[in-house]
Amino acid sequence: MSDGRFESCHGIRDAVRSGTRTAVEVITETLARIDRENERTNSFRDVFHEEALAAAGRIDRMVAKGEDPGVLAGVPVGIKDNIATTEGTLCCGSRMLEGYRSPFDSTVVERLRSAGAIPVGHTNCDEFAMGSSTETCYFGAVRNPWDPARVPGGSSGGSAAAVGAGLVPLALGSDTGGSIRQPASMCGCVGLKPSYGRVSRYGLVAFGSSLDQIGPFTRSVSDAALALEVIGGFDRLDSTSVEGTCEDCRIGEVPLEGLRIGVPVQYMDPGSNEPDVARGVEEVIERARSGGATVVEVDLPLTDKGISTYYVIAPAEASSNLARFDGIRYGHRTDRATASVDELYAASRAEGFGEEVQRRIMLGTYVLSSGYYDAYYNRALQVRRLIKEEFDRAFESCDVLLGPTAPTTAFKLGSKLDPMSMYLCDVYTVNANMAGICGVSIPIGLGGTDGGGLPIGLQLQARAFDEATLLGAARSLERLVEFGYERVPCV
Amino acid sequence: MNDQPVRTKQLKVGLEIHVELQTRSKMFTRTPNVAHPEFEGADPNTLVDPVVAALPGSLPVMNKAAVEMSMMVGLALGCEISEFSKWDRKNYYYPDLPKGYQISQYDLPLCLDGAYTIDSVHGDRRRIGITRAHLEEDTGKLGHELPGGGSYPGSLVDLNRAGTPLLEIVTEPDFDHAEDVVTFAQELRGLCRFLGVTQGVMQKGHMRFEPNINLEMVLDDGTVVKTPIVEVKNLNSFRAVLGAIQHEYDRQERAWREDGLVMGPGAKSTRGWDDERLVTVLQREKEDAHDYRYFPDPDLVPVVVDRAWVEEVRSRIPELPSSRRERYVRDHGLREKDADVLLEERSVTEFFEAVVEHPDSGGDAAAVCKLLLNQIAKLANERGCLIDQLGLEAAQVAGVVALRREDRIGAQSIDPLLVRLSETDEPADAVAELAGMLVVRDDSQLEQWCLAAIEANAQAADDVRSGKMAAIGRLMGHVMKASGGSADAKVVQAKLRELLG
Repeated sequence: MSDGRFESCHGIRDAVRSGTRTAVEVITETLARIDRENERTNSFRDVFHEEALAAAGRIDRMVAKGEDPGVLAGVPVGIKDNIATTEGTLCCGSRMLEGYRSPFDSTVVERLRSAGAIPVGHTNCDEFAMGSSTETCYFGAVRNPWDPARVPGGSSGGSAAAVGAGLVPLALGSDTGGSIRQPASMCGCVGLKPSYGRVSRYGLVAFGSSLDQIGPFTRSVSDAALALEVIGGFDRLDSTSVEGTCEDCRIGEVPLEGLRIGVPVQYMDPGSNEPDVARGVEEVIERARSGGATVVEVDLPLTDKGISTYYVIAPAEASSNLARFDGIRYGHRTDRATASVDELYAASRAEGFGEEVQRRIMLGTYVLSSGYYDAYYNRALQVRRLIKEEFDRAFESCDVLLGPTAPTTAFKLGSKLDPMSMYLCDVYTVNANMAGICGVSIPIGLGGTDGGGLPIGLQLQARAFDEATLLGAARSLERLVEFGYERVPCV
Repeated sequence: MNDQPVRTKQLKVGLEIHVELQTRSKMFTRTPNVAHPEFEGADPNTLVDPVVAALPGSLPVMNKAAVEMSMMVGLALGCEISEFSKWDRKNYYYPDLPKGYQISQYDLPLCLDGAYTIDSVHGDRRRIGITRAHLEEDTGKLGHELPGGGSYPGSLVDLNRAGTPLLEIVTEPDFDHAEDVVTFAQELRGLCRFLGVTQGVMQKGHMRFEPNINLEMVLDDGTVVKTPIVEVKNLNSFRAVLGAIQHEYDRQERAWREDGLVMGPGAKSTRGWDDERLVTVLQREKEDAHDYRYFPDPDLVPVVVDRAWVEEVRSRIPELPSSRRERYVRDHGLREKDADVLLEERSVTEFFEAVVEHPDSGGDAAAVCKLLLNQIAKLANERGCLIDQLGLEAAQVAGVVALRREDRIGAQSIDPLLVRLSETDEPADAVAELAGMLVVRDDSQLEQWCLAAIEANAQAADDVRSGKMAAIGRLMGHVMKASGGSADAKVVQAKLRELLG
């Protein structure tokens, strides 16, 4: 505790602004901690030592001159390896981009910088964000800080593990079908997926463009809200970002008294969740009820259609988004002699992309092919519309939806070998991406069938662009559970 | 081998036209557009940014100016502007296509269902249906020549052109004669230039034409034979359009006689034009072999156009060349050929109209036209600029017309007067006066000049007196020189005769 390992973004910001700590101290400690402990989880692939210290120096000079260094002054941030920064390399967990340097910052990183936050490194992720365990990462699997034999979830596993392990108070991830919320749940931290269009995607290496959204990992709901306020809002470089600033998502008090919590029957179906997960969530529901919340049962019959719909739309978009990695202008190019440009493409891509990425490119190419387009892609778009309508109806009777983030706690590395069982990790999270609504996972306790001691995550979902309610309600529930982040085993 | 005689043979052509729009920035990013005059000479790969090079994490943002230019062309072609259109990805791999897909409009184009009327080679007016016009982005270029010359063994990619806004206009197969296609193509070029959406320099690829050609033949026994459709790609001269269609007109009948193939699914082929041998050459057998996997681009929002926007854009469309030509010929009595020259450049047309409308020109369009296309065009040619770029004001040119009409300056004074006018803002009559170009009608002054000429050229004067009239030229030359050109030659001659008996 004395080394500030579990300090919040708010705490660091206040200390740096008031001059009780310098940003250089904060960053020096953070870098030392990462250097010392990263081996244990493989959270970071690349650490920006020099750049981070230089940035910290700039913050301190601002403080000395009496200038406002911003609402995240001196806060170290881990950046998922698919979000562009001008520091270091940008690899997306792939051999394809090994050694690639981005000449530009993503909008979110630019905004973090102007708010005084300091990127300290790129965190490992599943290759091109395709996976739910961070095992498809070309730079080695990430391990769960609560049990290194287990996965951290994915695809933003490195960011979740870094925050869960107390390496950094804030990290960015991206969520296409659950890639922020599910690892947050498994690593014991808060993970927020904002509404689609809330946060600019400029600089996020696209996977499923209509589903991708950047969001923060933190160790408190109010830190997540603070980070969202900084990174959110319209960006002229992303046409799908929504007009206006992010002021309407500023967290407010949402007391349990009067809060209408919807619990989808499909999320609590006996037998679908690990016993400790089900018990943990039920306990929170009970406490919320005693705290004055109204709990209503809602019906989301399309819940289990999400995964199959997702695995048409996301790969379709990915097959096109990943076409630019052709070895011509940047990225991996084969050393083999090739007779034609087509052969050059095929060899470079076969060598550069891993198995899961290739599987999804083929799947996506197939569903968009003439003759199959209507049966798969168009049909999936129809189901997507129905899912959205289903949420709209559900939110008529409640303010937030509550359930487990994932059916299980963290599983063992290498234990889910067939793709289908891996895909099902996202059953409760994908539909928020389908519908463009916001969702957050908060840790509610420890448990697990195999000895326990693993974080359990609870997911709240709210209407699109109603982050104020989502985060307010999440904070009220957070107060009920007092998770205890410092329990994570340290080196 | 089919040798049955053909009773009638009808050509059928539809045309696709690609127009590079000269917006300042590219279609989906703020980097300058190589089709804009200011940037056309840029060194290879200097008009490139993360979006153009398709770097990871970059995103396209629509250029509104390109949409408005397309709406203008669409409206000028009588199209409906769709209230809702969208962007689709056309997926294929090629080194000049950085993203691995081209952003285009597949099933919901911006402009739909228009028509344009041309004077047909058959002597009547023909309505050419416009199926659609949609926006997309151009690709980069592949080359094998190093900048500054010298060949390179591999392929070189230049991405300057990648992302240039491209308007693709598609006509109905309403042409039955190659010359009509050329007429349409030329008028479309004029129209696009007039609207300011392109410079329309064919050699630079600002406009590229792709005719879809086939034949409908009725055989002696009454059987109707339709030959397979051939698309000829990337023609960038009117001569090539004409040549390719004429060549296909002969070739398709020959081909059918040999292989008997007729129009049908999968029978479409793609050919190119060989500019030296003047023949079309097979490029790709089956068009359908390509599966572009079109789907809506999730990075862009649909284009929603309301009535107010359409009307605002419509209000910016000037009177079109076709309508002006009709007016010039009908109301002003200009020759069609001259009208076409004036209409080639919008700025010239507007200059011409400004001169005609100026009171000094007396509305004498024929005289204005003559002055513009002769002396002024000559001067512009010398200076390598357009007629309206000489620094002449419309009022000055109207003043010159007036001075000539009133015989206040001699024909020989026009050229020097124009030169002086191009350097000043003063009115034509003041400049002519200052330069002593006004015709002198003062008899005593004239007499003095004549007497001086006789005195200085005694021999010539004697010759004239003795009836050798040819010698009068020398005397006249002396007078004209002394008068600085302001004497009226006819009057001078009469005076000299009078003085020499």
